[in-house]
Amino acid sequence: MEIARNSDAIPLHRERARSKGPRWYSSPQAAGYIFLLPWGIGFLCLSLGPILWSLYLSFTDFDLLTAPEWIGTANYVRMFTADTKFMTSVKVTFVYVLFSVPLKLAFALVVAMVLNRGIRGLPLYRALFYLPSLLGASVAIAILWRQLFAGNGLVNQFLAQFGIQGPSWISNPNYSLWTLIILAVWQFGSPMIVFLAGLRQIPADVYEAAQIDGAGPWRQFARITVPLLTPVIFFNAVIQTIDAFKTFTPAFIISNGSGGPVNSLLFYTLYLYQEAFGYFRMGYASALAWVLLIIIALFTAFAFLTSRYWVHYDE
Amino acid sequence: MINLLGRRRFLEVAGIAALVASFDGATARAAATRLRLIYWGGQARAEKTGKASQLFSDRTGIAVQNEFLAWSDYWTKLATQIAGGNAPDIVQMDYRYIAEYASRQVILPLDEFIGQQLDLIGFDQDQIEGGKVGGKLYGISLGANSVANIVNTAVFEKAGITLPANGFTYAQLYEYAELFKQAKLPNGVRVISDASGHEQMLESWLRQRGKALYTADGQLGFDVDDAKEWFILWSKLREAGVCVTAEDNALATGQMESSMIVMGKAALQPDNSNLLIAYQALMQDRLALAPYPLISVDATGGQYRKPSMFFSIARSSRAKSEAAQLLSFFISDPEAAKVLGTERGIPCSEKVRTALVTTLTPLERAGLEYVSGLGKILGPIPPSPPTAAGEIYQSALTNISQQVAFGMEKPENAGEMFVQQATELLSRG
Amino acid sequence: MMNSATLSDATTRSRIVSIVVHVLLISASVVMIYPLLWMLSASFRPENEIFTSASLLPSSFSLDSYIEGWSDLPVSFGRFFSNSFLIAILCVGGNVVSCSLAAFAFSRLEFRGRRTLFALMLITLMLPYHVTLIPQYVLFRGLGWVDTFLPLVVPKFLAVDAFFIFLMVQFFRGIPKELDEAAMMDGCSPWRIYCRVIMPLSMPVLATASIFTFIWTWDDFLGPLIYLNDMEQYTAMLGLRTFVDSTGVSNFGGLFAMSVLSLVPIFGFFLLFQRLLIEGIATTGMKR
Repeated sequence: MEIARNSDAIPLHRERARSKGPRWYSSPQAAGYIFLLPWGIGFLCLSLGPILWSLYLSFTDFDLLTAPEWIGTANYVRMFTADTKFMTSVKVTFVYVLFSVPLKLAFALVVAMVLNRGIRGLPLYRALFYLPSLLGASVAIAILWRQLFAGNGLVNQFLAQFGIQGPSWISNPNYSLWTLIILAVWQFGSPMIVFLAGLRQIPADVYEAAQIDGAGPWRQFARITVPLLTPVIFFNAVIQTIDAFKTFTPAFIISNGSGGPVNSLLFYTLYLYQEAFGYFRMGYASALAWVLLIIIALFTAFAFLTSRYWVHYDE
Repeated sequence: MINLLGRRRFLEVAGIAALVASFDGATARAAATRLRLIYWGGQARAEKTGKASQLFSDRTGIAVQNEFLAWSDYWTKLATQIAGGNAPDIVQMDYRYIAEYASRQVILPLDEFIGQQLDLIGFDQDQIEGGKVGGKLYGISLGANSVANIVNTAVFEKAGITLPANGFTYAQLYEYAELFKQAKLPNGVRVISDASGHEQMLESWLRQRGKALYTADGQLGFDVDDAKEWFILWSKLREAGVCVTAEDNALATGQMESSMIVMGKAALQPDNSNLLIAYQALMQDRLALAPYPLISVDATGGQYRKPSMFFSIARSSRAKSEAAQLLSFFISDPEAAKVLGTERGIPCSEKVRTALVTTLTPLERAGLEYVSGLGKILGPIPPSPPTAAGEIYQSALTNISQQVAFGMEKPENAGEMFVQQATELLSRG
Repeated sequence: MMNSATLSDATTRSRIVSIVVHVLLISASVVMIYPLLWMLSASFRPENEIFTSASLLPSSFSLDSYIEGWSDLPVSFGRFFSNSFLIAILCVGGNVVSCSLAAFAFSRLEFRGRRTLFALMLITLMLPYHVTLIPQYVLFRGLGWVDTFLPLVVPKFLAVDAFFIFLMVQFFRGIPKELDEAAMMDGCSPWRIYCRVIMPLSMPVLATASIFTFIWTWDDFLGPLIYLNDMEQYTAMLGLRTFVDSTGVSNFGGLFAMSVLSLVPIFGFFLLFQRLLIEGIATTGMKR
């Protein structure tokens, strides 16, 4: 595909425009809305309604089986004054986000960079590293993780070789969260693929030009790769953080819905699920959902606002 | 309201829907009456229930669509369907939830069907009582069971112990632990799992003392001193190495494959008697049933026969009479009983039991004999638990017992905490 | 600058680095896939040995779990696989088309309210699905779509997955705007720019979106759980969940065997599409 154009194009453009006349659907304003039409329909029908309904429910007492009953801000008051489980779930979730997201992104980026170098066996390695992410929410994961991290599990057997007597990581309230952090990092395949795609979009000749100029691998990394990768890094950071806040399935299948030994795995959305479907308190669960949404929205807004200082788009 | 909107919209979209529906190969909808039945269970139950429903359809011409799910998914889906106005006709109910659903009028009182579509002649009276909430019958028991310890007989044999036929006491557990140690058993297997957070063990212990878990008006049937003693009892068992360690016990998240007995960490596992077959399928060692521990040799009334699960009819059902027919078929028809076996528990109808006895496998017979042989250990069935009972179990009892086990809380304080939290949850309603 | 000494030094060094890299990658791979190897081994074991044996190699090799797992349920597992496949493919198509359209609008077109709508789109990502579950169910029930595949597939054609819109926005913003401008000077409408400029240059991100959509749809169980009643329509994930039940006899052999089989299509899809991730570089080699 060719691109080379120069300044004589401008008068040519005006000439063309005059002869053809602008079409209404070619104007960017209308075009924007037309392109957004599928999203708009989806948003109005499938998202907006449920979102507003859940906001309404957060001010009610709703047990799923009978009609909701308006109770004003009672749910929110209870959440912040009388609910210890809420504080526990916030703490658990924040610790999880704080550790799992950077670790996951770091592994994903490093491995993506290594795989991008075009070494032998690349497709195989790429597939192998992505394999864990394919397992998703399988019930088998809980069984596998117990095999690994129980008292006499494989990890402890491995550590015993070095004379280390490990605790039962997965069932000890002090360590159980870490087994989930490791699970999250183990499934780094998705952000890795995104990084790979981002790396692939950096043209090879840019690196070649830099190499001819005498730039070594570290300089290339710092001056070319990182800046050009910042949109993708930003995306992965925001998405992984939002996902980490919303983590439900790993906690659910590993603790079998209970929230782990002494609520050490009581993730925020697990607590929400318990309230909604376990104890028939959908109103309270909706309030929990909205508090979570606000937390995530604040973080995301902050991320977007500060992104202008470090994210380079080609504009 | 929704139905009205639904009908109009449905006609509009039906064309597209039909096109795609045919694309995805959905089976044709049966005409006339069709019953939707939903239940939890695995493949084994699905197979049997499917066969039994087919028998019913053949005999009555009423089609039955089975929907089955794993336990953990069942309640989410059922609640969603009810909230969405799409409840099935017949729902399988659990002892713990039936009061919840009954009090919210989501399921139907069945009294009007008794004697007509619903044949209850020869049905165990206590099983009928078990399905009553507020004096009305809301669910028909599909099988009775009682609590039992699953016993790993191979381990006990190796330790040279024969368990007494009438049950063993808490005190005897210490003796067994001593013999276990002497026999140098592999994996350091303990006598019993840590049941301090196990609601049914607590209930059995309280009943033997003349107390109860909950009273008929939905209050706690015990006090702080009882609770303290309970946690201290288990604290001592834990210190003496009689029961499983805190870390090991926390591995048991409620699924059978992670239970202490299957993992080889305990030789006694408290659970329900009808699960013997399921446990045996996972283990190579031979298993048997034994009653819950007694507080003394002549203690009585600790256990009771309870309905393992019910079938209830949804209030929104449009085929209530046919649904009642299906219920009746499942519980009293000898052919159905042969197909269903004791997978859901011991059948509650006398004539069904006699028809079934010859077809039982040894494990099934063991279950039957266990329940009927409990003698004086058996007591009356308690009133149906208050709606907060589930939360008190999962949120308070399990949590507090784990705190004690991990040394985060003293047993004495735990007793107070438990009563306090339980009372609070009960008053929340 | 380069003499023969430094040349051989450099090659030796790069060879050592290469070996080290390979060793690290191989050991990392083993760690990554060990749990899966365990699952593979468990699928060939007899049922009562799965949890009681410690070694990775089964004592006796048996295909029983595969045979039983496939045919023991009232509906054959093959049916579940084909259902999953159909839904996943449709969702891939829906997502790629609808999300790229929306992403193009957000990243390349100017219109009033763009920022607000973008923010609204992101907000849909932030709400846990448990709270939107019931209202959406009520909506689909009103449309009569319950017990069909429609609630699982149609939303994908309406760009409901904000994740992919956001992803594509980030990628589109990396494509030089001069290309758009040049095409506009040629008299191209936004539609032509979308088709002729942006899409061909976005193979990496479209491949990514396809892979993710396929895998996540395949692995999704909550949607199918809520909307599919008839067992004939169950997806593979839903079928897997019926193998294990805490209140009765479970079939772990079947679970592992079918889980292994379940990995095959998604792994295959991944291998197929990952080539597009590589080939992307050919069309993105533009002179700036």
